[in-house]
Amino acid sequence: MQINRVGYFLIALFGGLGLAMCIGPPLAGANAETSLIVASTGAIFVLTAVGLGLYARHNVKKAAHNDWIFQNGIKGTATIVAVGNSHTTVNEMPLMKLTLDVDIPGVGRTEFTRREVMPVFTANRMEQGLILPVYANPQAPGDFILVW
Amino acid sequence: MADLDASYAAFAAARGMELVPGVDVGQLTPLLVESTAGGQLNPAARGPLAEGVDGIVGHLAYQRNKKFRFTVALTQVPSSTPFVPRLFCIRKGRSTRDDEFYGFEARHAKLWTESTRLNERFTVTTGPYQDPNWMRQLFSPALVDWLANKPPQDFSFELAYGTLLGSVEEDDPGPDGMAALCDATAHVAERIARECEE
Repeated sequence: MQINRVGYFLIALFGGLGLAMCIGPPLAGANAETSLIVASTGAIFVLTAVGLGLYARHNVKKAAHNDWIFQNGIKGTATIVAVGNSHTTVNEMPLMKLTLDVDIPGVGRTEFTRREVMPVFTANRMEQGLILPVYANPQAPGDFILVW
Repeated sequence: MADLDASYAAFAAARGMELVPGVDVGQLTPLLVESTAGGQLNPAARGPLAEGVDGIVGHLAYQRNKKFRFTVALTQVPSSTPFVPRLFCIRKGRSTRDDEFYGFEARHAKLWTESTRLNERFTVTTGPYQDPNWMRQLFSPALVDWLANKPPQDFSFELAYGTLLGSVEEDDPGPDGMAALCDATAHVAERIARECEE
């Protein structure tokens, strides 16, 4: 997953509005009770913005790590052994549970289970027997990226 | 709708295609997923899009906050999946939905090209972890020049796991428009297939 322009806008909106709600009423001379009520709502907005920001940062770090594996990793293959749909969706994209037989040259075959959020048109293509490329971390072959 | 049926009947007859009342091609590409009906083309014609390239041309319409209408041409390039599982070349400014605004999306990579004309006209994206050398070979100067100058003005294409969908943002582009869409889609299909063979 990666943040997009809407994501940046939402972080700015929640963060800016939340901060304004926290500090605006006291600066405008509102009484303590009003300030507290508005500030508590503003704090929720700020926390939402912080949460979105942390999630975005986590995805940026994960993407950088995956890029490193792509550049430096060992290329292998993963054969789909089983496909499960968790019936959970993230932004209209299904969370798929894939059981994979991963074959890394020099390491051997190992079975892994991987959960991946995929666009619908990708999820529809996941079926038993499908072979997908993987790139494995040379230091930890269990740390791999599945190319779909 | 009667006019649309007549257009497709005339086009199918002229191009040696078989008119089909409606066909569900499935949710195979992002545009086909947008359709709440799930890739329902109605009307549609099946047969040669161009010499040596078979496929389906059809009318895709779906309702979100407003009605979206496209004319699409669908064909297969099965050899492309190992090389480029996902490749989207979308006209800048195209809208396929207006009722969902999500802050996070599946990771993709934008293709960088030196062609100002191409960059002005299209946004080209692929899946992440795509071999950049292969992409540079696919987007040869000839293809870049062709994309920038030759296809219909509102043409876009989506390649997903061997399924290629060319599309224009018109309800009824007429015989010439449909022919141009079929020719453009077939040209892209041939170019991708040729690069996969090499």
